[in-house]
Amino acid sequence: MTGRALAAIVTSRLHGERRTTAFACVTAAIVGFIQPHGVTAVADPLTADVATRSVWLAGPIFFCTAIGIALALAQGPGRHPYLDIGERSAPLFGRELARAKAIAPTLTATVAALFYWFAQFLSGFAAPPTFFILALASVLASTLVALNATLRSGGRRLLYVLLAFVTSAIAYVLAVYADSAASRAGDVLGVATELVFCAIVGFIALRQYGEALARSDVVSS
Amino acid sequence: MYVLRMRDAQYVRRGETIVAPATFDVAPGARVARVCATAGEAQALAMMAAALVKPTSGIVLIGEYDPRVQPVHCKRIAAFVPHDPLPFTEMSVEHFIGYRAALWDIDTERAHAHAQLLLDRLAGLHESFAYPIVASLLASPPLLVLDRPQPLFAKQILAAAGPCAIFSTHLDASAATEFSALREEVRV
Repeated sequence: MTGRALAAIVTSRLHGERRTTAFACVTAAIVGFIQPHGVTAVADPLTADVATRSVWLAGPIFFCTAIGIALALAQGPGRHPYLDIGERSAPLFGRELARAKAIAPTLTATVAALFYWFAQFLSGFAAPPTFFILALASVLASTLVALNATLRSGGRRLLYVLLAFVTSAIAYVLAVYADSAASRAGDVLGVATELVFCAIVGFIALRQYGEALARSDVVSS
Repeated sequence: MYVLRMRDAQYVRRGETIVAPATFDVAPGARVARVCATAGEAQALAMMAAALVKPTSGIVLIGEYDPRVQPVHCKRIAAFVPHDPLPFTEMSVEHFIGYRAALWDIDTERAHAHAQLLLDRLAGLHESFAYPIVASLLASPPLLVLDRPQPLFAKQILAAAGPCAIFSTHLDASAATEFSALREEVRV
């Protein structure tokens, strides 16, 4: 696949979903701005660490995941038929097309997460960069899982959407509890656990999306 | 050598036979029209001929390539034009031609010049029908696959297609015959 073809697919998809992108960024900024950041006063440093993480990570992970899933579902066939038929009939392998199509929603979800983080910063409760990376990993993995729902219908479609939410829930638990459990030995292990989980899930989801795209039934009548 | 060969190519979806076993050949420059019983059959058969859908059983060879093994090679040979008009409210024609040129790795300037030539030949067609045909012919494919094309515009479509082979699916014999009659005219 040429870089030119990749750029054409990504920019066309981004252009087609520009209003959705703008809406996602604005809502992320609003929620990031109004999200409560207060933590109950506790004496134990480990409990305080868990409480801070659970409050500060819940908003960006779950809200930005919901945005990522919505953006992924918007990539499904039917919204932009001229892009669908162009990509379908282009001389590209399914896995190449899957990678190109996955870039647009993940890029948009990343921008939305950045807006969320920036809004948190403006409201005076800026989360550390590690929190942003943890939230972003969860959002990207869930978005890639949700992309698989666009090629399914009925119960299977719902199942993939649920899997995307479950992915973010597991990532949240790992980010909050694995990190704090590991904090006695060092935060790196806890952060790495969540990132490795999201990387594995995201990789499998992208491979699965490519396979499904190559085998998907495009006969509509 | 044929640009398209089908041998008992069948398409079955969830136990329902959409395309009954089909056997035919399309030689370079030839025009083959096939009448189908349902819209689903016409669409699926055209998509099989353009390597967009893989046959459930039987053999499809596009320029001697098997779409199940070498779909990319097949898509460089066969260009597909859908039946439904494509709404172009979100993208200008210049952007659309540039987009298709990038996907097929064609020089953008050359693609725009070629598109203008094709649009001149397709004068009278609504842009929703004309642009997909223009986009399909940009890469000068050896085979053009038309899913239920408008018989009213057969003359313009054939003129735009030029020397490339055409395989078309139709729902009624009169449309196919009209295409065939015009084809003979064009050949003469």
